[in-house]
Amino acid sequence: MGEHLTFIGSVTAQLVRAVPVTLLILAVSGVCATVLATGLTAMSVARSPLPRLIQRTWTFLFRGTPLILQIFMIYYGFAMVPWIRHGLLWAAFRDPVFCTCLAMTCCCSAYIAEIFRGALAAVPRGEIEAGRACGMTGFLLLRRVIAPSLIRIALPSYSNEIIMMTKSTSLASTITVLDITGVAQQVIAHSYRTLDVFCAAAALYLLINATLSTLLTALERRLDVDRAPTPLAPIPPTLEPLS
Amino acid sequence: MSKTLRGAVLGLAVLLSQETGHATDVAPQDTPRTVVIGTEGAFPPWNITRPDGTLIGFEPDLLQVLCQRANLRCQLVAQDWDGMIGALQAHKIDVIADALQITPARKAVLAFSLPYAITTGVFVTQKDSPLARMANRGLVLDLDASPTPERQTQALSALREELRGKTLGVAISSTYDAFLDKYLADVITVKSYRTMGERDLDLLSGRIDLTLDDTTYLRPLLAAPDAQDLVLVGPELIGGELGAGEGFGLRQDDTALAERLNAAIRSAVEDGTVRRLSLKWFKADATPTLDARPGDAHPGDAHPGAAAGSPQP
Amino acid sequence: MMDDLTLLGFGPDGWAPLLLKGCLLTLAVSATSMAIGTVLGVLLAWARLKGPGWLRRTALVYGVVLRGVPELLVILLLYFGLPSLILSLSETFGWEAPGLPPPFLVGSLSVGLVSAAYQAEIFRGGVGAIPRGQFEAARAMGFSDLLCFHRIVLPQVARVVLPALGNVWQFNLKDSALIAVTGLSELMRTSLVAAGSTRHPFLFFGVAMALYLVLTTLSSTAFHYGGRYSNRWDRG
Repeated sequence: MGEHLTFIGSVTAQLVRAVPVTLLILAVSGVCATVLATGLTAMSVARSPLPRLIQRTWTFLFRGTPLILQIFMIYYGFAMVPWIRHGLLWAAFRDPVFCTCLAMTCCCSAYIAEIFRGALAAVPRGEIEAGRACGMTGFLLLRRVIAPSLIRIALPSYSNEIIMMTKSTSLASTITVLDITGVAQQVIAHSYRTLDVFCAAAALYLLINATLSTLLTALERRLDVDRAPTPLAPIPPTLEPLS
Repeated sequence: MSKTLRGAVLGLAVLLSQETGHATDVAPQDTPRTVVIGTEGAFPPWNITRPDGTLIGFEPDLLQVLCQRANLRCQLVAQDWDGMIGALQAHKIDVIADALQITPARKAVLAFSLPYAITTGVFVTQKDSPLARMANRGLVLDLDASPTPERQTQALSALREELRGKTLGVAISSTYDAFLDKYLADVITVKSYRTMGERDLDLLSGRIDLTLDDTTYLRPLLAAPDAQDLVLVGPELIGGELGAGEGFGLRQDDTALAERLNAAIRSAVEDGTVRRLSLKWFKADATPTLDARPGDAHPGDAHPGAAAGSPQP
Repeated sequence: MMDDLTLLGFGPDGWAPLLLKGCLLTLAVSATSMAIGTVLGVLLAWARLKGPGWLRRTALVYGVVLRGVPELLVILLLYFGLPSLILSLSETFGWEAPGLPPPFLVGSLSVGLVSAAYQAEIFRGGVGAIPRGQFEAARAMGFSDLLCFHRIVLPQVARVVLPALGNVWQFNLKDSALIAVTGLSELMRTSLVAAGSTRHPFLFFGVAMALYLVLTTLSSTAFHYGGRYSNRWDRG
C-alpha cells in the first residue's frame, strides 16, 4: 500500500512538471485563436463577398475535419513541402509545439468565430441604433456599444470552447510533445501501471479545467450588469479617456 | 502494424501467466498434431498479407519447411499483435511467429523455441548529418560477449561520445528501449513514435538525428527511391537487451511442441534452409548460431551467453 | 502527378480500397459510439432528473469528469486499462480469461462514454423545455409513465434535441479519428499508415481531410432534413 502511494506520488510529480507545456500550448493557441476569430468575425459581416467567402471556407475546412488530422498535416505533411523544409520557416515547423499551436489556432479560431458571429447577431438592434443616434460611428460604436454586449453574450460559449481547447492540447502528445498526456504515456511505457498513471493525468486535467471554468464564471458574473447585485466599481477614468 | 502495445500486453501477459497452467498437450513425436500459428501479416519482410489474404514472407516460407519436418499440420492465421499473447494463453493459437525477439523480459511470460534467425540492430542517419561519419561502421557488438572484448568497450564509449546531445527516434515500446536505457539514455534524447512510419518521416525531415532499428526493416527502407538521403552508420548491435535472435513464442507448458519445433529448426539451420530463405527475403544471411549440444532443447537458450544458467567461461 | 494517381488508385499499389474501407469503419465506429452515447445519455438524464440522491450525484460526477478529461486520455485509459480490469474481474469470479477486447469495441465504447456525457445534458435540457403543466395534464388524463413518455415527452424532445444531437454526431465523427491511436484501421489510421509507408504525408492527409469533409457534410445534410421532418407539424 505504502509502495503504491509512493508510486502515485512520484508519477504525479512527473506529470506536474509537464503542466507548463500544456498551459503554454493552451495560452498561445487560445490568444492567437481569439485574435484570429475576431478577424474572421469581421470578415463574416464584410460588405464585399470575398472576405465572407474566405471566412466560410475557413470554417468549413477546420470544423469539418478532425483536429488530430490537421495536426498531422501541419507536422508531417508540411515537413515534406520543399519550400518549408528548406526555407526559413523550418525553424518553426520543426518544433512540434509550434505545429500544435498553429493547428489549434486555425481550428479553434473557426469555432470561436462562429460563437462571435452568433453573439454579434444577438446584440440588440436598438442598442446599436441608440449608439448611432448619439453620433457614435465606426470604432467608437464597436468599442462602447457592440463589444460590451457581444462579450457578455458570447462568454458562456467561449468558456466552453476554452475547456474544449484544454482537452485538445492533449493531442500534442501524438506528435512527440511531452505534455501531461505525453509524459503519462512515457511513464506507462516503463511501468505497466496504466490505471494509476492515467487517473493521475485525468485529475490534473480536471483541476486545470475546474480552475479555468471558475475564473471564467467569475468573469461572467462580473460582466453581467443586469444581474449584478451591487453597482460595479467605477472604472478608473485613466483607462477610459474621453474621445 | 501495431507494436505500440508490446509493453502493455507483456504486462498483462505476466498476470495471465500467473494463472494456473492448462493441461500439457502430450503427444508422441510421430503422431501428426494440428497447430494454429498466429502471425501479424503486416511486418514485412517477415510476414506480409497479400491483397487476396494469403500470407507470404520469411516466416510463412520457413514454417512450411518446419511443419513438414516436425510432422505438424500447421494452420497460419493473421492476428493483430495486440491480442497475440492473450490468444496464445487462451489456446486460440499455439505458436506466435512474428519476428519475436527472445528477450529476458519476454521469457518471463512465454517459452521460446530455438532462434530461427538472428538480426542486428543498426543506426541510420541523414547523409548530410555529422553523424554520417560515425566510427566503427559495420562492427558487430555482441552485448552478451563475456568477457567483453576491449574493442567492444571502446566502441560503446565512442558511441556514447558521438551521440551525446543527439535526438534518437524509436517506435514506442520497441525492443531497443532496454538497450537505450542502459547504455545511452543519459546522454541522448529519445523520442518515441507510435508507428515506424511516423518515425521514418521525422528521420527524413531531419527532426530526429538518427534511429535504431532492425536491419531487416531499415535496409529495405534505405533502398527506397525517396530515402536516398539516409545512410547506415556506426556499429551493429546484437544480443543482451536486444535479445538472442527471433524465436517462436509458445505456452510455457507446451514443451512437447517446443521439442518438435526445435528439432526442425536445428535441421533447417544445419542444412542451409534458413540461409537460403533469409537471403531471399532479407538480402542478408540471418542464420543463428545454435549451441552444438544435440538434444538440448531448453526453449530460447540457444544464443551463446543468453542462457540464464549456462556456465560462464 | 502520375505517381500520386497510382497511389490513390485501385491498382496493386493503390490505397483507394483501404481508404474507402477506412471511411466505412469511421462511420461504423461513430454510429456505434453514438448509439452507446444515446442509450447511456438517456439513462444519465433520467438519473439526473428522477433518480434517487446517490444516483443523481453519480450522474453529475460522471458528466463533470467525462466532459473535463481529454477524449484521447479516455481512449488510452480504456484501451490500456480495460484488459487488466477484465482480467482482475475474471480472476475474482473464476472465469477463464476471455482475451483482449477488440479495438473496435474499445474505441466505440470510449467515444460513446464521452458522447453520453454530452447527450445527457442535451436530453436533460430537452425534457426541461417541456412545460410542467403537460405532465400534470397527462397524469390527470390517467396516462401511464410509459404512455406519457411516448406521447408527450418523446415527440417534443426529439424536435428540440435533434439539432443538438447533430452537433454531437459531428463531434463523434471527429473524435473517432482519435481511435487511430489504438491501431483500429479507420480513416485516420489508414491515412497515417499510408503516409508513413509511402512517405507522401501531404497527399494522404490531404485526401483524408477531403474524405472527412465529405462525411461531415453528408451527415449534417442528413440531420438537416431529419430536423425538418421532426418539425413538420410546426410549419404552415
